[in-house]
Amino acid sequence: MKSDTYTARMRADIARRYARSREFVADTPSDALAVGTLGTLALTGAFVGFLTTSRFTSLAVVAFLLAVGYGWVRHQELAAKGVTLAMTVSTVLILSLITVFIFVEAWPVLADRTGRVFGVPVPGLEMFTTTQWTPAVAEPKYSMLPMIQGTVLVTVIATAVAGPLGVAAALFLSEIAPEPVREVVKPGVEILAGIPSIVYGFLGFTVLSPWASDQFDLLGQGTYLFVGIVVGLMALPTVVSVAEDAINSVPESMKSGSLALGTTDWQTMTTITVPAAFSGISAAVLLGVGRAIGETMAATVMLRNSPAIAEPLYNAFYGFETLTSLIAANYGTSSGFQQDALFVAGCILFVSVLVLSVGSQLVEERVERKLGSGE
Amino acid sequence: MTSDQEQSSGRVSRRNFLLSSAAVGTAAGLAGCSGGSDGDGGGDGGDGGSDGGDGGDSTPTPESTPTAEMDGDGGSTPASGSGGPSLLTGEGSSTVYPIANEGSSYWNGNAPPSDGEYWGSNDEGEVPGWSQVETDMHLADYFASQYGFEATGTRSSPPYRATIGLSHSGTGCEAVTNGLVDIGNSSGPITAELDWTQEKADEEVVDHVLGRDGQPVVVSSDIYEAGVTQLTGEQIRGIYQDEITNWSEVGGPDQEIFCIGRAVGSGTDTSFRLNMLGDAEAEMPGVDTRQGQNQGVAQLVRQNEGAIAYMALAFTGENVRPIAIDFEGTVYKPDKDAENTIFDSDYPLNRDLHMYTQITEDTPEGTDMREGAFMSMFLTDFGQQVFVEGNNYIPLPTADLESEAEKLPGPVPGM
Repeated sequence: MKSDTYTARMRADIARRYARSREFVADTPSDALAVGTLGTLALTGAFVGFLTTSRFTSLAVVAFLLAVGYGWVRHQELAAKGVTLAMTVSTVLILSLITVFIFVEAWPVLADRTGRVFGVPVPGLEMFTTTQWTPAVAEPKYSMLPMIQGTVLVTVIATAVAGPLGVAAALFLSEIAPEPVREVVKPGVEILAGIPSIVYGFLGFTVLSPWASDQFDLLGQGTYLFVGIVVGLMALPTVVSVAEDAINSVPESMKSGSLALGTTDWQTMTTITVPAAFSGISAAVLLGVGRAIGETMAATVMLRNSPAIAEPLYNAFYGFETLTSLIAANYGTSSGFQQDALFVAGCILFVSVLVLSVGSQLVEERVERKLGSGE
Repeated sequence: MTSDQEQSSGRVSRRNFLLSSAAVGTAAGLAGCSGGSDGDGGGDGGDGGSDGGDGGDSTPTPESTPTAEMDGDGGSTPASGSGGPSLLTGEGSSTVYPIANEGSSYWNGNAPPSDGEYWGSNDEGEVPGWSQVETDMHLADYFASQYGFEATGTRSSPPYRATIGLSHSGTGCEAVTNGLVDIGNSSGPITAELDWTQEKADEEVVDHVLGRDGQPVVVSSDIYEAGVTQLTGEQIRGIYQDEITNWSEVGGPDQEIFCIGRAVGSGTDTSFRLNMLGDAEAEMPGVDTRQGQNQGVAQLVRQNEGAIAYMALAFTGENVRPIAIDFEGTVYKPDKDAENTIFDSDYPLNRDLHMYTQITEDTPEGTDMREGAFMSMFLTDFGQQVFVEGNNYIPLPTADLESEAEKLPGPVPGM
């Protein structure tokens, strides 16, 4: 009985969709329909041709462009609709293909380094049960643990630098600073975000690292501590800029209401503004963390590029390798399993950034629910 | 400039361009530029380049090529009024290629002595080793004229052109023994590349060594000044395998050793493992840091105390000092005039870069005048500094330069 109504509803739904599409076909000029179909087919053809590395791919692309051109001239609105849809679909498709590719490339070494837990084979387990990265010896070992330690240390230090500094600067800019200061400093901070990371890395390599090596009496140069600080400074503009926007978007009425009750500026900030903007502020910090995890150039230039576990685990004075710098330092000279292992590093980065961004979404949702609509 | 001659040299060059079309960018470009402006044999090189794309069906068969080569040898005798010498061709190892190709580019440019950047001197500067030469002739003119060729006196128009193709050591050796090219470039000895005995190699080809590929071992200046100017091979192995971790263990100050290596899997890293540690798969647990490039290594050695590294010679200097190494009783010194030097082929981190020429009936000595003049350029101070050291290779020590000069059919300027 229940399933009957379900099927009936399904059928009605299909019928309605069918009717709607018939209506669309009937209403649309036939040349637009023909060109739309041609464009869709050509784009699909181009995609298939690209995957099979066919030599006719360019023909399909040209056909698609012609179809778009004709549609643009004759039926601009419809063409725009179609093209924007096609662009969205290709973006999603391209990104998922890249993701799949990374994992496919990483698979051979994962399969080869399968370990067993209670008799159950776990692909790639052996890459996490040793601590050695020795790709050139007779029995190469590709442990990911040194790089994971490096990435964690650098990220933690960078967050410790960028988080408090960034949020404090955002609060000052948004709530305390007089208008003229704000007008100058805000764009200035945003410009800082545009300095290429190699510039920071080069400064670190030539100035900070040798200095640290002297001051802390280290053997040679390259420390997670200073890489973390440099990466933190690099992430700072992102944090300031996003956090400032979040704080700024707290409605004036909330703040005025609080002030009218007799609180001081500081009390209003800590009890009203910051809690209300919390989701935005945490998003800002998480964006900064994301940048720190993915930072490559500065880390590659400043680190030692010889993977090893720093001992004790929290020893930030020796910097060996992060997941990103591993790829950057070895892509040119690696082949076979070593190259696959670099893709494994890529997978780990992908998964951690994914977890991070899903996590930040969840935090945001939770905070919003708690505050009602905080905005 | 008989039509026959022109035909054959054109065909040889066309074939060569097909073999190496993409790689000889500079040389082909230079040849192509002047193709229209002058009418001598060299211009054919340009034609060969420009129609090389559709020349696939007109490639001469291997049988016909040696004939062309014979014609070329005929032309290589001092130029008489009627026939210009033919194009000089070479191909082979990618390791030798930078030296040979840069040499041919300079050669084809035939820069005047007033150029200052590529040849000769002017107000803005002079080429390295110029004091040894001091001529008023153009570059290629100068070397070629010592071997009996007529000078052209014109920029971009040398007495004969040279092109260098890029393939592999083995292919280069084969090409020269089959008479397809004049010079076969190889980074390994021909005996190993073609599986020949030494006698057969001596009968068939002449081995010219114009430079070496290898690395000196360097230390930072604080260590050098503290008296560590020489280490044994065994000590270096110990340092890189973490058995020696303090300079005091090898007669230096009480300072930990900062051990620098090159990126794992690079050719430099592999040859260091093989030649210094005894096994291409040897472990190197002593390495504290790895760098992808010579520049990075040099910078690290400059910036840090107690550093040791191995790197291309061109990047050594005041604060990056090459040291002498004692291998089983023989001390190789970082001095070109010493009895045993780190520039020698016996030095375990070096290998010879060969340019082979074929012994034929016409040239029982194995090296004809065209080849001789071209190679003499590399044996001068100018050639060693610009082409060999300029490409981060190791120049020949004085004794080797002299023995190499004797293999040529003519003089080497300055010797």
